[in-house]
Amino acid sequence: MERPELEIRELKLWRDGRKILDVSRLELGKNECLVLFGPNGAGKSTLLRVASLLEQADSGEIYYQGIKVDKKNRLELSRKAAYLLQKPVFFRGTVKDNLLMGLKFRGLNEAEQRKRLNKVVELFNLNSFLNRQPGELSGGEKQRVHLARAFILEPEFLFLDEPFNGLDAELRERLISDFFDIRKKTGQTTILVTHHRDEAAFMADRIAVMVAGEIIQTGKVEEVFSAPTTPEVSKLVGQETLVEGVVEEVDNGVLRISAHGQTIYAFGSQKKGQRVVLQFRPEEVILAEEKPATSVRNWIFGTVSEIRPLDRVMLVVIDCGFRLKAYVSKAALEELKLVEGRKIWAGIKASALNASWNFGQQELDSQE
Amino acid sequence: MTGSEILQITLLSLLVSGLAALLAFLTGLPTAVFLYLKDFPGKRLVISLVNTGMGLPPVVVGLFVAILFWRTGPLGFLHLMYTPAAMIIAQFIIAFPVIAGLSLAAFEQVDPELLLQAKALGASKIQTIWVLFRESKMGQIAAIIAAFGGVISEVGAVMMVGGNIKGYTRVLTTSIVQETRMGNFRSALILALILLSLSFAVNWFLTSLQQKGEKRWKGPNWK
Repeated sequence: MERPELEIRELKLWRDGRKILDVSRLELGKNECLVLFGPNGAGKSTLLRVASLLEQADSGEIYYQGIKVDKKNRLELSRKAAYLLQKPVFFRGTVKDNLLMGLKFRGLNEAEQRKRLNKVVELFNLNSFLNRQPGELSGGEKQRVHLARAFILEPEFLFLDEPFNGLDAELRERLISDFFDIRKKTGQTTILVTHHRDEAAFMADRIAVMVAGEIIQTGKVEEVFSAPTTPEVSKLVGQETLVEGVVEEVDNGVLRISAHGQTIYAFGSQKKGQRVVLQFRPEEVILAEEKPATSVRNWIFGTVSEIRPLDRVMLVVIDCGFRLKAYVSKAALEELKLVEGRKIWAGIKASALNASWNFGQQELDSQE
Repeated sequence: MTGSEILQITLLSLLVSGLAALLAFLTGLPTAVFLYLKDFPGKRLVISLVNTGMGLPPVVVGLFVAILFWRTGPLGFLHLMYTPAAMIIAQFIIAFPVIAGLSLAAFEQVDPELLLQAKALGASKIQTIWVLFRESKMGQIAAIIAAFGGVISEVGAVMMVGGNIKGYTRVLTTSIVQETRMGNFRSALILALILLSLSFAVNWFLTSLQQKGEKRWKGPNWK
């Protein structure tokens, strides 16, 4: 395997006799975006601060681009990284003063400062409020300055601690897709902490699920979300099926999406050619022996690959190019004579499916 | 009282109190940084002591310094009793806890997240402390104002350890006491006016320094 950009080994951190972190191994490849996912208090933020060299663990090793972090090179290596706090806080002075702060810490000359400033101002569209006080900005503008303040450092590593929290849904979605596009251009190796499934699904190349200071599963998002290896992960990621697809046609707000060889209709505001993430809630999936004539737009044919009892219902997993999950009652299970290997129709109303995320214009262009 | 006498008294007042406040700033600020950044057993006790020190009665400080520098005292061999040096030391003891205590309070007003943000942007330890100063500038100038105002106007300590010796340790406050005792209200009033103007001038300078930063921060949009 290629040398990992970031490597963490045998990291342990205790506080007041309580284990906070116990990560035996974590590796990130160049330009990779890893999402740390987990409940509150799982140690995600702590791991992020330790990985970004803001905090020190009791034991363990961290390697940046193959170089072991030690006391001597700590500051120098930490300057390869930018860490973004959950909530933006600003120093005295204007937006411009705030943007330049990190460059001043690095002792960059004025010409270089100006060059980088111009770059992020354009990238994040900050021109109109460069000379204003951060206190006067709206929540979304503050968040943009906050992100820009990290990007201006031209870091090789980005560490983001729920940077889109506390924003209204529309703004959050816009910022995330903007951020996605910018990161794609600049290509930093990134660790992002979030507890939003959709954010994780959209951003992550790989996801690591953390519980009680330990990483208990890592893998591709669809893999982790559709096949959790432990009951803890399963509980955490929920039973929704997340599927990625491409919009093929738009008709009055109804999208025709092609996903894993299936055609699916859903509501959304995306345009033709854009990539989207679809969320199927298992309680909204209907199973039928024959494809019935109903108002339900989506009928997917597949094979039952797994049946598992949950608290009050049965979970049926249907293999149809992706792993679609449905809840049925025990009575319905017997009536339909559902067993593993049986072919079945699964239906879901287009109105019960929401396509999330706007992948940016760039994405669109590259597919045309 | 002649004009040159008054000038000499005024200059000595400024020198003694100015030096005492400056020394207190140079030592009190690092003390506050230490108390802010380091955790150690008994830290709370030390902070309580510093805060108590902010209200030290000048006569009590005068008494301690006098005991220390008395001819038979532990530091008597230095022959500092009834010298301007003893006055500076006494006023330094009064000013130090004011600077340390108020600076610490000013640091504690700074959002800790801001220091984390500074580190996250690549600040070294020194640069992080610089951010701490920068963000608490208002409070530190307030601390200097309080300390200088406290020592230039006190009379107990300088009287006890300086002795109000004409042409040597006589300062504005002690001569006001002297002139009043002698019934020379005219001279006492002139000296009092000089003391007030001096105090005002120094505070005006410090306050404008303090408010300069603040204007930039709030901006015209507050109107």
